Amino acid sequence: MEHNSAPMNQRLWTPWFTFGVILIAIGAVLIVYRFIAGLGAVTNLSDGYPWGIWIAFDVVTGVALAAGGFTMAALVYVFNRGEYSPLVRPALLTALLGYAIAATAIVIDVGRWWQIYNPVLPQYWQGNSPLFEVSICVMIYITILIIEFVPVVSEKYKDSKKPFLRSLSNKLGPLVNKYLMVFIILGIVISTLHQSSLGAVMIAAVERIHSLWWSPFLPLMFLISAIAVGFAVVTVESYVAARSFKRPVEKDMLARLAGIIPYVLGIYLVVKLFDLIFYGKIPLIFADWWGLMYIIEMSLLVFIPFFMLLKKSVRFDIGKLLNVSIMMIAGIILNRLNTYLFTYQPRPGETYFPTLVEVLVTAALIALLFVGYKVLASFFPVMSVSTEEK
Amino acid sequence: MSVNRRTFLKATAAGVGGGMLATQQATAARPRKALDTDISMLNDCTKCIGCRACQSRCKETHGLERSGTDPRFDMPVDLSGRTLTLIKMHKQDDFFTFVKKQCLHCGDPSCVSVCPVSAFEKLDNGVVSYNKNACIGCRYCMIACPWDAPTFEYDKALPVIQKCDFCKEARLAHGLDPACASACPAGAIKYGKRGDLIREAHARIRENPEKYNDHVYGEHELGGTSVLVLAPKEVRFEDLGYKLYGDTPPFRLQEDIQHGIFKYFIPPVALYAVLGFIAYANRRKDNDATKKDDKKG
Repeated sequence: MEHNSAPMNQRLWTPWFTFGVILIAIGAVLIVYRFIAGLGAVTNLSDGYPWGIWIAFDVVTGVALAAGGFTMAALVYVFNRGEYSPLVRPALLTALLGYAIAATAIVIDVGRWWQIYNPVLPQYWQGNSPLFEVSICVMIYITILIIEFVPVVSEKYKDSKKPFLRSLSNKLGPLVNKYLMVFIILGIVISTLHQSSLGAVMIAAVERIHSLWWSPFLPLMFLISAIAVGFAVVTVESYVAARSFKRPVEKDMLARLAGIIPYVLGIYLVVKLFDLIFYGKIPLIFADWWGLMYIIEMSLLVFIPFFMLLKKSVRFDIGKLLNVSIMMIAGIILNRLNTYLFTYQPRPGETYFPTLVEVLVTAALIALLFVGYKVLASFFPVMSVSTEEK
Repeated sequence: MSVNRRTFLKATAAGVGGGMLATQQATAARPRKALDTDISMLNDCTKCIGCRACQSRCKETHGLERSGTDPRFDMPVDLSGRTLTLIKMHKQDDFFTFVKKQCLHCGDPSCVSVCPVSAFEKLDNGVVSYNKNACIGCRYCMIACPWDAPTFEYDKALPVIQKCDFCKEARLAHGLDPACASACPAGAIKYGKRGDLIREAHARIRENPEKYNDHVYGEHELGGTSVLVLAPKEVRFEDLGYKLYGDTPPFRLQEDIQHGIFKYFIPPVALYAVLGFIAYANRRKDNDATKKDDKKG
């Protein structure tokens, strides 16, 4: 199946786009204020709750949702499933924006942001810390995503009228393409490492988080759930982008892609059940309200999607497929927030609820994803178009 | 698009080299537990009269601002960026116990293990020290600390992590005892070598068994701590905010798992090799198929 990618070249300033830009503008002002006034002035973070929604949602959940970039790359380039290649560039763009947003959130959240580069300085390396691993991997992975995006940019300028742009594109594009596999595989390895390390971060906090969510298998659980939901995000992203650019939705391709999800969820389910049984946690499910929370989370992320996506009738009905994908996304958001925030036991007497500023900055970062996607897919050949159309 | 063998090897070699450096840094010479020769502090709740002289002398020594709602008074409710130690009052029936809160200077500190930039260090004399030039302010230390010791200056634009530094620079460097110990009028804070203080703590319990809870807190907890606590007989340590832990800190498991994933960088490199091989094999299969098609055509 031949396909080409093309810039969308459509009207940018739709009402939703304008709304997104306004959110980003508000967020930008608030972020500047945060750097002047300090974290206490704008957030409800405290010595009891050092991490709020900026870390639990913007960073930890954001990175999980951006997993589609590496899973699609693995599927198409390593496992040679070329039929999905129209989904690769959109997934790559989503990942690039998702990681850029997570990195921005880290800079906003850390207290001593002007030293944010310290993890790369050898005198400060700390091989025992999962967070060191995450910070190094995220930096490398963003670089890899940018490199993987070079062919997209150079494709746009390869026939440019400006001689400098044209010659640069014609040199850089083929060069990156030649070594692309090296970067793609490195990106996959790096992704598996930091997706799992984000789970490892909370192992030391065994006294802090609820036993239903704490497990020595947290790294494995975080990795597998991110892979499964990565496909769900690609589905939603593909649908929203198609609607936004008024293009046909790749229904059949998404249906076939969704066929992979139950396998991944099945593995996740086995790990989760093993964790429950081996550590004797089953009584905890019936002990209090957290048990119900666990059931709700597992239903959204695993139980319902697993059985629904086994059915061909669901996978090939784009409306149902979309609903299941959104359900999985809700499930993983709940899972990450439960692990990092909701079940977190602070020192006695402390509570946390995000401030309006924390919420607005988060909203601005989410808006940045949609606005950035629309702008970049409008100007660069990201979206796939069939050969006849061109 | 093929995996170029030379670039692959180069990238791998760079990764392995970096990993070995990181491992070298991680292996410290100091054993992972509190030592008898470490400097130490014995906080005896049965002797404390709750005057909070230690608290104000600590603030004076470190130049920290007053805390609490009324700016005319210093009334901290807990450890914070402005309060490195404080006295809390615990009431049980009609019996009051005053208990001192601070960093316990663990023998095997969680903050040292989890900090992504080596901002914490267990010094040879036993002090857990903080280096603000390394710190990025991620606050993972606050998540991981079993005693909620590290705090953060939320009210500052250019904040640092705060915790008891044992008066390392302000007083120990000049041959003086820590501020709190020298301020205490009741002899409730004793400064000395850990081995001596553990012996003394046991002696106090032995001589007054009706007065003391028969447990020296910090002798074994999570590998032992430099700050030791004695409690009155009727009062449980848990109720004073000192949870009873086992001997092994929870981050040990985290380190084992993390080191398992990164063992000599073998697992990541092996994954790279396997993925590279699969991609290479698939591509060859494709090329062969195209060649056959060409011949047929």
